Amino acid sequence: MKNAIELNQLQKKFGDKVAVKGSTFQVEEGILFSLLGVNGAGKTTTIRMLTGLSKPTSGEAYVGGYNIKTELDQVKKICNVSTQETAIAPNLTVEENLLFVAQIYGFSTTEAKKRMEEVMKQFSLDEVRKSKAKTLSGGWQRRLSIGMALITNPKILFLDEPTLGLDVLARKQLWKIISGLKGKITIVLTTHYMEEAEALSDKVAIMVDGELKACNTVDEIKAMTQKDSLEDAFIAIAEGEV
Amino acid sequence: MRGIVFAKRTLKEIVRDPLSYIFCVGFPIVMLIIMTIVNESIPAQAAIEIFQIQNLAPGIACFGLTFIMLFTCLQVSKDRSTAFLIRLYVSPMKPGEFVAGYTYPVILIAVLQSVITFIAAMIIGQIKGYHFEIQNILLCMVVLLPSALLFIGFGLFFATLLNEKAAPGICSIIISAACMIGGIWMDVDSIGGTLEKICKVFPFYHGVAAARFAIRGEYSKLGQPLLIILVYAVVIYLLATFVFRKKMQSDVR
Repeated sequence: MKNAIELNQLQKKFGDKVAVKGSTFQVEEGILFSLLGVNGAGKTTTIRMLTGLSKPTSGEAYVGGYNIKTELDQVKKICNVSTQETAIAPNLTVEENLLFVAQIYGFSTTEAKKRMEEVMKQFSLDEVRKSKAKTLSGGWQRRLSIGMALITNPKILFLDEPTLGLDVLARKQLWKIISGLKGKITIVLTTHYMEEAEALSDKVAIMVDGELKACNTVDEIKAMTQKDSLEDAFIAIAEGEV
Repeated sequence: MRGIVFAKRTLKEIVRDPLSYIFCVGFPIVMLIIMTIVNESIPAQAAIEIFQIQNLAPGIACFGLTFIMLFTCLQVSKDRSTAFLIRLYVSPMKPGEFVAGYTYPVILIAVLQSVITFIAAMIIGQIKGYHFEIQNILLCMVVLLPSALLFIGFGLFFATLLNEKAAPGICSIIISAACMIGGIWMDVDSIGGTLEKICKVFPFYHGVAAARFAIRGEYSKLGQPLLIILVYAVVIYLLATFVFRKKMQSDVR
């Protein structure tokens, strides 16, 4: 299987503080890859570097085969991101938000409308299509935000804590949507919910203080730590027991 | 093309905010009416011409543009405070397309605002017995464009450097300064002295003076203030776009 993402000793420093300590791992095409860690572990910084929002201090990384330092324009065309905070235009309707992002990525009006209808169906957004984004509930807004990331047909989708702050029902609905994307595109997910990572991930990486401590399938990480759940395995790794 | 797509979105964001109508359309018309009433109360012996409709209309048209600065500032700082701009930073959009996307819609709103202000002024002029020449109104609207660019530049500049709470506050200071030293509500030339010199150091006076010369058809006097406001506008706007580009690069570090 080809790699969608490759990191080789990727490092990020902010002054004297090392936020990401030379991470090296690969993400195979079409899988759902979860990046786990406590707050400040370096997950979001890693995603920011891979999407061009932050420049690495040293090391190399390739997204879709393109170097993030020298071929960032190509990287931007094939990936998209749904940030921790909902990223929507508040006074635009759901339809307008989706069309806007599609056109920013170079889709013609006809293509953008076609993709919009597909995303509307995929995310069950039809009932709120004419509503202004600011009037939607948190769950709907998050759904729209992820839809806006997907409308551009990205080969690689970064989801930074997509279910943060959502109620149980909204979270389960999003899980269903994310599960439906598996195999079609490569997804990199960061989350604090271990049951979410366990339910959705093909592969998991655990970061502690900017350092990559484990990178494997959920079952292999559980076996490695001799724990029954990913949460227990995560705690064992985060607390340095393993 | 992306700049146009982004501009359409910015325009929708602005026109769907009710405050836009209050400040952009309502306020200039209300000021025109109030100041015309004030002018009625001034005795003829006082020989104050500043509130006569032919001087008032270009002054208020210029004053209205200060709110264009506020809109630019509010829109940019609001975008910067949310994850929406982060989404666009990840997209293939270039810094120039962001700047274009913020500038085009507010230029359009500035022109519409001038049209509405002068239509109201023509109606008041008819009532008061003053006839505006259409070609002078059109010339005045063109002459106001550098002032519009200047205020857009200020809006972009402060929204880039300051946060969502501080930037509009600074814009309010600029609005007050533009009114005070721009000669909108007082005849700077007849005051003279140090105050006149101070007023002429800043661009606002020249923008208002150029607009007044244009509306009165005093074309021979138009050149100097127009050139001064044009130079100020280009410098401030280019500075603002430079600062925006730099800020965008430093955000991605």
